[in-house]
Order: sequence, then structure tokens, then C-alpha cells
Amino acid sequence: MEKELEKRLDAFIAELRKGKSVEECLAQNPEHRSELEPLLEVAQAMQRLPKPELAPELVSATLVSVGREVARYRGNKSRTFRGMLSHRPRVAWALGAAFILLFAFTGMTFISGNSIPGDVLYPVKLATEKVKFLLTYDAQKKAELRLTFSDERLRELIGILQRSGTLDTDLLKAMLDEAKLALENGSQLPEQQASLFHVKFNHINAYQKESLEQIRLKVPPSERETVDKAIEVCGNRMQWMMKRMREGKHVPWGRGCDMW
Amino acid sequence: MRQKGPDLSDAELQPVLEQARHYESIALAQLCEYFYPKVYRYIYYRVNTLEDRDDLTNEVFLRMVQSIRKQRGSVHAWIFRIAANIVIDYYRRRAVRKELEQPAESAEAVADENTIPDSFLEQERLRRAMDRLTGDQQDVIVLKFIEGYENDEIADMLGKSVEAIRALQFRALISLRKLLGKE
Repeated sequence: MEKELEKRLDAFIAELRKGKSVEECLAQNPEHRSELEPLLEVAQAMQRLPKPELAPELVSATLVSVGREVARYRGNKSRTFRGMLSHRPRVAWALGAAFILLFAFTGMTFISGNSIPGDVLYPVKLATEKVKFLLTYDAQKKAELRLTFSDERLRELIGILQRSGTLDTDLLKAMLDEAKLALENGSQLPEQQASLFHVKFNHINAYQKESLEQIRLKVPPSERETVDKAIEVCGNRMQWMMKRMREGKHVPWGRGCDMW
Repeated sequence: MRQKGPDLSDAELQPVLEQARHYESIALAQLCEYFYPKVYRYIYYRVNTLEDRDDLTNEVFLRMVQSIRKQRGSVHAWIFRIAANIVIDYYRRRAVRKELEQPAESAEAVADENTIPDSFLEQERLRRAMDRLTGDQQDVIVLKFIEGYENDEIADMLGKSVEAIRALQFRALISLRKLLGKE
């Protein structure tokens, strides 16, 4: 008997979700009205409950800590691709063959995605980014693309550091500049979209700061000051963003938020 | 009335998930942004102190990053399983500390009820009644009625059969009816 009631209740809850009233549901099964009516009323009241309010600062704080966690994880991937291949010549041959096939079938743009300055395909990657940006008309997507480019410059910077042990200051500059441009684009969005975008910016910024802190000691001592300055810029941007979230959009861009 | 919980299906989330598995920052941010309100609502109805809710929600996403490479199957089920485990750990830790502490009073309960909007009081009334349900019953109620998931999705999240979910739902509604009727 109870199993039967469970099934009927569940079927009626599904009907409520489709927009039927409690009365319409019970009309199909009047003999169980006394047992089912109070339960359906509770179910309906719960489905109509408003959602608890959510403070944007909370999402932002979580994105910042997730950004830090990601930086730690990416930092732990210490073995380079090149290092792996040098110990596994067969794997290198197999990958080489796969690379040629992939190239034949998918074209250069896909493959150039992981290239870094100095690679033959790097100019293709930059050109692809430009085209993608020009062909994007949606303002929010444009701002997000800028963030992607900023993230990409950081990856490249780390790639160069692993490959040659040098700091590419042009990439560092491009990383910070792209993020700033993203922020400028994002700030022009309608209020709600803009605040969501700012949350995303905060996440990327925190991730970049954490990554720079991790690579700091791998950078030659003569260039470490530049990295320190960039870390400071990311920190200032984080503080500026927090202030902006508290006080509103009229908070001016801080002086310490730019490097050059 | 909500029709169905996930606004984006597992298949729609798959490309973002693929990038997130490679620790792509933007993809991870998108996953957080999408799931944050859902996880927060789940924890809101399972935990009664404000600070703990914020901390636990944060913890869910850190654990998401830590285990993203091992993720298999439904993304929704995976995230809510992480959240459910974090809530279980939280209550285990609290049970250990219970004798040493005064009972925690929620910030909302201290506030003057005349200044609080009705919608908030309704949420609080339900939340307080839900405290008296078993953990499994609470999970089913939040996932079904607050988040709008279907029985099979909830069964996947909680590792139970659809029949067990139906039974939990039935018993939870009976208890809630009694508890809310008393207030």
C-alpha cells in the first residue's frame, strides 16, 4: 500500500512540475485525497520557494581561491613535454607521425594553438587570435577572448622559461595588457553581465599572480625584479577590484595597477 | 515552477569540462560560475551557520579542482557528490566538537524577524524543519524541490536506486508536513 502511495505521489509531483494544480492531480485519484493532498501542498510550497540570495563577493572569493589552487596544480606539472620525449624515442616517433596526420586533416590553426614564440607556427597562432577577435561581435565574448589571450601569454611565458630559462618581458607585458583590455571591454557591459565578468577577471588575475609567484625563483636573478613588479601589479588589481565591488563602478583605476 | 534542474545538460558541459581537466583557468571559472548557485543552495538547506555555508561551498570547488582529472560520468552528479561528502564530513567534525561547544545559533535566527522579508522567513522556516529530517531525506528534498533534478539524476548523485529516492521523498514529505504544521 505504501509503495503504491509513493508511486502516485511521485507521479503527481511530476504533474505539478508540468503546471497542473494540486486539485487537478487529486481529481485523478480521489480515493487517496486525504493521504496525498497535504503532501502535495508541501511539495508545491517548496517548489515555489524563492532561491536564497547570493552575494557576488562570495563567488568572487571562491574563484580567487580556485585560481590559486589551479596555479599550484599547473606548477606541479614539472616534467616538460620535450623532456619526456627525449627519454622515449619510440613515443616521439609515434607522436611525430600522429602530428603529420593531424596536420594533414585539421590544418595549421589547430596545431598552432600550443606553440610559443620561436616556434614556426607561432605567427599562425597570433594571426588566428586576431581573426577570431575581429569575427567576434558579441561584447561579452570579446572581453572573454581577451582574457583567454592573457591566459595564453602566461602559458607561453612559462613555456619559454622552461625551454630556455629566460623571462620574456614582452609576453609578461602582453599578459597584463590583454587582461587590462579585457577589463575595459567587460566594464562596458550591462551591469549584471559586467559584475559576472569582473568575477571571472578576478579569478584569472589571482591565478596569474599565483603562477608568477611560483615561477619567480626559476627566473634569472637579474630579471626577478620585473616578476616582482608584475606580482605587485596583480595584487593591486585584485585590491582595486575588491574596492570596486564594495564601492561601485566609479572607483578609478589604481596607479599601481599598470606596470609600464 | 521549475521544470528541470540542470539548465545545461552533461553533454553541453562536456567541452568546458574537457578544457577544465587540463586546468584551463577560464573553463574552471565557467564551471564554478555555473555550479556555484546550485551548490550554495544545496549547502544553504543542509547547514545552518552562515560562515560555514560560505566555507563549505568554497571547499566544494577546491575539491572539484583537486579531483577533476578523475571525474567520470555525470558532471552534475559528480559536483553534488562532492558537496554531499563535504556536508557529511562537516557534521562528523561537528559531532566530535559538540560537547566542547555551545549550540551554534544561526545569524539569521538572532536577527529581528520584523525587519526580514517574508521570502527569507519562509526559507528559514523550511530550513529549520529540514534540520529534523535524516541526511538522505534532506538531500532528496533539496535536489528535487529546490534544484529541480529528476529522480534518476538524484539516484545517480546519491548512489541509490530510483525506488529508494521515491521512498525517501515520501517519508520526507510526511515529516515536513508534520513539522511545518506544528510551527
